[in-house]
Amino acid sequence: MELAKLMEVPGVMAAFTYTDKGDLTNQMIKEGNELTPQVLDLLAHTCVANMAVATMEARGWEALTGQKGFEPLQGFSLVGLDWTAVVNGNCGVVVKNRDADYEVAFAAISACAA
Amino acid sequence: MHLAKQLMAIPGVIAAGEYAYRGDRYTYEGGLTDEYARMASILCRANTLNASMQAEMFSSFAEHCGCRPLQGWVVRGKQVSVCAVGNFFCLLENRQGVLNDVMTVLRAKVGDISDDVMKVMYSKIGGDVTEQLV
Repeated sequence: MELAKLMEVPGVMAAFTYTDKGDLTNQMIKEGNELTPQVLDLLAHTCVANMAVATMEARGWEALTGQKGFEPLQGFSLVGLDWTAVVNGNCGVVVKNRDADYEVAFAAISACAA
Repeated sequence: MHLAKQLMAIPGVIAAGEYAYRGDRYTYEGGLTDEYARMASILCRANTLNASMQAEMFSSFAEHCGCRPLQGWVVRGKQVSVCAVGNFFCLLENRQGVLNDVMTVLRAKVGDISDDVMKVMYSKIGGDVTEQLV
């Protein structure tokens, strides 16, 4: 999916793609916010790490409790003061909290990752 | 009404709880055993601390980037999701509208934490908060 499609997510501030290691490969940033390619690069690395941790926790939780339904993970989201990052696969968006539709954002990211 | 009870009133919420920042106390409502609720509390506290540290690092690249203080995080599973805001957590089904409703309630009641969550956590542990963070 093109980044332009991700830029249609409600409240979007930026959309980006990254490698499996978290290196930023492409980004679109709306004017008028403080996000920079450097922040998005760190964010992508962070999200790769968090997805790995969340996968480990989900697998462990399912094994320990017998409760199913987590794996395979469909995404991770970091909720900051003003904005939220939503990532899955090699795609991510940053959306304003006040305009965020988390389910639409996760759906868009999953479509991008497919 | 206690927030966990309020969250449990949303159709599709499996369990909800509150944990102490120290991690040794917790309360919960819904479909978890006491031991699983204890584990979930520890897991959520650890993840929140980790994500909070990450938000601190973002601000070193852009001081007013809007990421800190961290409010929480969400893990989206195939059929089930977990979200944590402040020191509350919620386990929910991926039904239409449930995640948005839960996040709206959590952010309205707990979010927009005025103080740095790291400082709050350290202050619960004790000692000179500023000194520990320097």
